[in-house]
Amino acid sequence: MKHLIYLAFLALSAHSFAAVSVIVHPSNASAIDDSTINRIFTGKEKSFSNGNKAIPIGQDAANPVTEEFNTKVLNKSSAQLKAYWSKLIFTGKGTPPKEAANDAEVIQSVSTNPDTIGFVSSSAVTGDVKVVKEF
Amino acid sequence: MKLKTTLLIAALCSTTAHAEINISGFASINGGKVLSGNGAPQFGIEPSFLADYPIVSTYTKDFSFSPESLIGLQVTGDLGEGLSVTGQIVARGANDYDAEFEWAYISYELNDNWTVQAGKKRLPLFYYSDFYDVGYAYVWMRPPADNYTWQIFNYEGVNLLYNGSVGDWGLSANIYTGKEDDEQNKLLSDFFFRAPTREIWEDILGGVVNLSHDWLEIRLTHMRYTNKRFVNGEPTMWNGKDTRDGKFYGLAVNADFGNLFVLSELNRLELDSDFDTYMISAGYRFGEVTPYVMYSNYEQDGDGDTEKHDTTAVGVRWNFHPSAAFKVQYDRVKDDSFDFAVAGDSKALTFGVDVVF
Repeated sequence: MKHLIYLAFLALSAHSFAAVSVIVHPSNASAIDDSTINRIFTGKEKSFSNGNKAIPIGQDAANPVTEEFNTKVLNKSSAQLKAYWSKLIFTGKGTPPKEAANDAEVIQSVSTNPDTIGFVSSSAVTGDVKVVKEF
Repeated sequence: MKLKTTLLIAALCSTTAHAEINISGFASINGGKVLSGNGAPQFGIEPSFLADYPIVSTYTKDFSFSPESLIGLQVTGDLGEGLSVTGQIVARGANDYDAEFEWAYISYELNDNWTVQAGKKRLPLFYYSDFYDVGYAYVWMRPPADNYTWQIFNYEGVNLLYNGSVGDWGLSANIYTGKEDDEQNKLLSDFFFRAPTREIWEDILGGVVNLSHDWLEIRLTHMRYTNKRFVNGEPTMWNGKDTRDGKFYGLAVNADFGNLFVLSELNRLELDSDFDTYMISAGYRFGEVTPYVMYSNYEQDGDGDTEKHDTTAVGVRWNFHPSAAFKVQYDRVKDDSFDFAVAGDSKALTFGVDVVF
């Protein structure tokens, strides 16, 4: 029981202080700064500086890391972001990034496709992906 | 158009086996009433608030949900390799919820930056024109009526779209050409001429450039067209000719500093005379609650009595749910013309819920 409470506490604290890591395939050596990440995840930039196609991978809107990423990196609340994408979806100008279910799924995609870029909780990062920026 | 719609449905259905079908939608359930107003007795118009010119969304002293409520459904069939088919059906309270295809087009991505689209689309005159129906996407109850007055809001044609970046600036642009033949134009037939009016805008050629960087967004546009009109089947003559040319110019500048934002638009339509419109709005986000103010103005150049009206509005948007927003807005309209009066002075209260799904 004590163990469980300790785990729950750990989960809670991890939740509120979770850092977000933006990850790419280990072979991707492109220059990626905050502005590039912002533009790729808002559909304004379609390729990496190495010329390869850039495919952003989002996460389920209910995951805490998504909210962290939206506020810290895109500087938008989830409602603002939803309004932004509504405008593009219903005018045929763009579609939001595909959403992965969780950190593991993002790591799975990014580690196997050099064109992808994603974000995960920093604690979930493995050696299969490269962290380009931590927020 | 019927044929095209049928073809589109056929295309959407026949692709189900191979294509990924995406269904999304939006809805607004809005209600309101005129609190006080003069109407335009010279034209037999009772106290009214014309919230949307092209759709003729008119609130009167009797509370109603009809003028601006709508539901839209978008179906996109992604056939792979950059090819997709999209149909958007909208049912409006102002049209007794008769569902109509507002958008029906195919889209082909030539590469990462260029896309070509063909079919029926929204005419992108103003900043908010092409997502006017999606209330969730903007802060107000509706984009300011004084600016969004033009009777034609769709076209059938071809659109070439660019999406990319220049340094740290996002750049999107499009060039479009086409025609719209509206056999029974609602604004002209039901409101202005009170007689069946066929409105044609042909040889439409327009372009839009949209630049964005950090907190700043700038949109520039120009469009030209040739106008033909038949009232009760009789061609309208302008200076001895049955056609006239129009040129539209628009500039929109938006600044978003995170919580504080300022939105503005400045437009001119050169037709027989110049029609100038502008609006300025500001708001502040307190978490999910955003109060805002807005002022818009319409003025026809010329001596003596011309069409002139303006609107001052205050309101609040509240994102009470991840996919829904509640809004309430107070509008004060001043109509400064007699011979060219639209709906007279009015004060109106409207509110509603916008959702996307």
